[in-house]
Amino acid sequence: MKKISVDHLARVEGSGGISATIDGKVVTDVKFSIYEGPRLVERLTVGKTPEEVVNIVPRICAICTISHKYAALRAMENALSIKVSTKVSLLRDLMHLGEMIESHSLHIYYLTLPDYVGFPSAIAMASKFELEVKVALEMKEFGNHIMKTASGRYIHGENPVIGGFGKFPTREELIWIRSRAIQFMPFILKTVSLFCELDYPDCPEEDTVYACCHPDQNKYGLVGDEIMLSTGEIINKDDYKSLTNEFVVSHSYAKHSRYREKPYSVGALARVNNLGEKLKGQAGKMYKKYFNPRWRRNPLFNNAAQALEILYAFERIPKSVDKMLRLSSSPIAEYTKKEGKGTGIVEAPRGLLIHSYEISDGLVSYTDLITPTAQNAEDIERYCYIAAQKLLEAGDEDKIKDRMDLVVRAYDPCISCSAHMAEVKKAPAEDWKAKLAAIKEKAPPMFVGVGNRNRSDDGAGVELALELKKLGVCDVYLESELEKHRILWEYKDLRPLILFDAVDFKEAPGKVTLLPLNYVIDKTRLSHKILPFISMQMRYKHLKNAYMLGIQPESIEEGTKISRPVRQAILKVLKEIKN
Amino acid sequence: MEKKIKDKLKIGIYELTGCAGDALLILDCEKELVDIFKAADIQSFLMAKSDNIDGELDVAFVEGSVSTEREKKELLDIRKRAKTVVAIGICACFGGIQAAFLDKKDWEKNFKKVYGDNKMTHTKPLQSKPIDAYIKVDYYLPGCPIDKEQFLSTFNRILRGNPPELYRFPVCVECKWNENDCLLNKDILCLGPVTRAGCGSICINHNLPCVGCWGPVENANLTSEFQLLREKGFDSDFIKKKMANFSGTGIADFLGELKGEKR
Repeated sequence: MKKISVDHLARVEGSGGISATIDGKVVTDVKFSIYEGPRLVERLTVGKTPEEVVNIVPRICAICTISHKYAALRAMENALSIKVSTKVSLLRDLMHLGEMIESHSLHIYYLTLPDYVGFPSAIAMASKFELEVKVALEMKEFGNHIMKTASGRYIHGENPVIGGFGKFPTREELIWIRSRAIQFMPFILKTVSLFCELDYPDCPEEDTVYACCHPDQNKYGLVGDEIMLSTGEIINKDDYKSLTNEFVVSHSYAKHSRYREKPYSVGALARVNNLGEKLKGQAGKMYKKYFNPRWRRNPLFNNAAQALEILYAFERIPKSVDKMLRLSSSPIAEYTKKEGKGTGIVEAPRGLLIHSYEISDGLVSYTDLITPTAQNAEDIERYCYIAAQKLLEAGDEDKIKDRMDLVVRAYDPCISCSAHMAEVKKAPAEDWKAKLAAIKEKAPPMFVGVGNRNRSDDGAGVELALELKKLGVCDVYLESELEKHRILWEYKDLRPLILFDAVDFKEAPGKVTLLPLNYVIDKTRLSHKILPFISMQMRYKHLKNAYMLGIQPESIEEGTKISRPVRQAILKVLKEIKN
Repeated sequence: MEKKIKDKLKIGIYELTGCAGDALLILDCEKELVDIFKAADIQSFLMAKSDNIDGELDVAFVEGSVSTEREKKELLDIRKRAKTVVAIGICACFGGIQAAFLDKKDWEKNFKKVYGDNKMTHTKPLQSKPIDAYIKVDYYLPGCPIDKEQFLSTFNRILRGNPPELYRFPVCVECKWNENDCLLNKDILCLGPVTRAGCGSICINHNLPCVGCWGPVENANLTSEFQLLREKGFDSDFIKKKMANFSGTGIADFLGELKGEKR
């Protein structure tokens, strides 16, 4: 077995890694791990005042500091029934646009573009793209400048407070921002063309669900009180848990999320896919020019979407400033409430960010924070798996590492959200034995034999199950018994489920491979009716804990004879399970 | 003129657990960034480049607290390779917000509340601690995040073989330079008198009290600040909590003293 891994993902913000384990011709495992240590922010906020919590939570991530601040403020103000003035809302939007510009321009020009033009860093890239690197730096600096003007500092500014701002920027400061934004327009338009015309590889391409904030007033926007999905569903912010369903994985300190047991994606690409039609002005024109159906299936287009959003931000700044200039500054709104529950959602540069708090007796008693990278983790793993398996099949094993790196980086993971990057591992010989032992250690598994006994080696799974039954092993079933006993309907606990079957991995006959069942389903490597049956009847949650133990058949001709190598494989598996 | 690569100091910039704000702030030195890369041989800077080398270093800048076994190993290795180690940011200096659970048992209880009984397979979690809990640190560059001017001056001085010259006084001094009205005089809980300067008294400039995010200044008169705030009618637990929000281990001795007095 071989493991391809990028152990320290470079040019991402934070520390994490992605690894793919390859057993012969099959990718058997993909893991996105975050080495960033546990910080327990949700716990250390408990017992503090809402104001203190608003000081602390932006420290989760420097690059999304404004989004964290904004989400926390919205949540606290919801909980404490505070209404802020229009000028406060406008200035918060402005600081948020500043962060979007800073984060997106850092990501597309500094962290991503070097990959596409073949340099190790943006500094090295400067030899060939001097102008782009310089102006992009200025654009990033401008984003920083906006954040500093509105929030007090580049990073972790404390000027935005519950109920308003400590101080509003002066008229001169706002007018300077307005005119500077207009000066940048020619370069921004070039940026959009550059990133929309990059040659994004077509692997991986696969459908997914996109989620983002549903902005008010039917416009493109970055905040809202509802979550919208690419499926057309709308979820109220208070019901966010029906989207996120967070769970702990053992290989990362960031939790993972699934919607209806399926991975989903958030971020600039999700926003453009869900809301792009609502873009106006130059951004609207550029959207119409460049958007195509591949954007809906290929995570690498996130970079194009980010470029488009930079344009959106630059077009909105002058309008926001004009409105702000007509309004007078308002004092910080006061409040008397000491109890309440509130959720605040905003779009961080890398996607939907959710803060939810409960306040009792003036102190925060419960905190739930759901970051974009935690939501994207499952889709990052899925797209990396798809890319790795496809490249392996095409004989491009040497490309897997770089491609996984590209996919992870496209998601712009904000790894401090609790996340360095890709690794390709070769499985050791007979890797399935170690895996089987690890599964058995969690809980006693259930076994199901699948296959057609009239097609020679295809009967291997059934044969194996029957032998196990003979040995008196508990919880062994045949495919044919499942429907009758309604076993899977009642399968509610989280015991592992292992299916036995002959699977054509194009390996040497008799080779045993153990891999997560959803990889088999995603790839539809085998056509037994069991698979549609299982994916319909079982919830995906259980599929996470379901595996396929596949034996490479020699022949599946009609007949009942099982070939020698397959028979030997059956005996080996029997021995392992007995142990 | 640009120096030859072999004459340049070898520098590494490393991130442990934290918000990556200090590394990001170095990237935020937009105008000076190219010069930084020209003046020194940046061997490792994960956030900025992918061709990183783990070799001998003249100076290592380390951000973040040690929060996993893997980070502890990485840090010990950095110390072995580097002649000089500079802790950057409050997490590396004092543990930061995640070092709030100073008591081991308290930390374990809260860890369990977040992650349940799940066994972590990738790296063992550790109670967050500043880097000097494990290695000798040569210089401390505080901040949450660090300040651009202080970083550039520290970087420059170290490049020329000089020790950094940092502010050794509290935020109040900068606040006076900025001619702000004292918020304590208005009975607002402000941590300016005990917090290390360098931020430019930014919060008070915005009519907001200092939250203490740079941690305690050396020889901070915490007792006097505590008494003052008590006299102004603030609850003692509230004051302690406020002082401890960012300071991690930097406030441990003082909290210990207070406990001792109670007994």
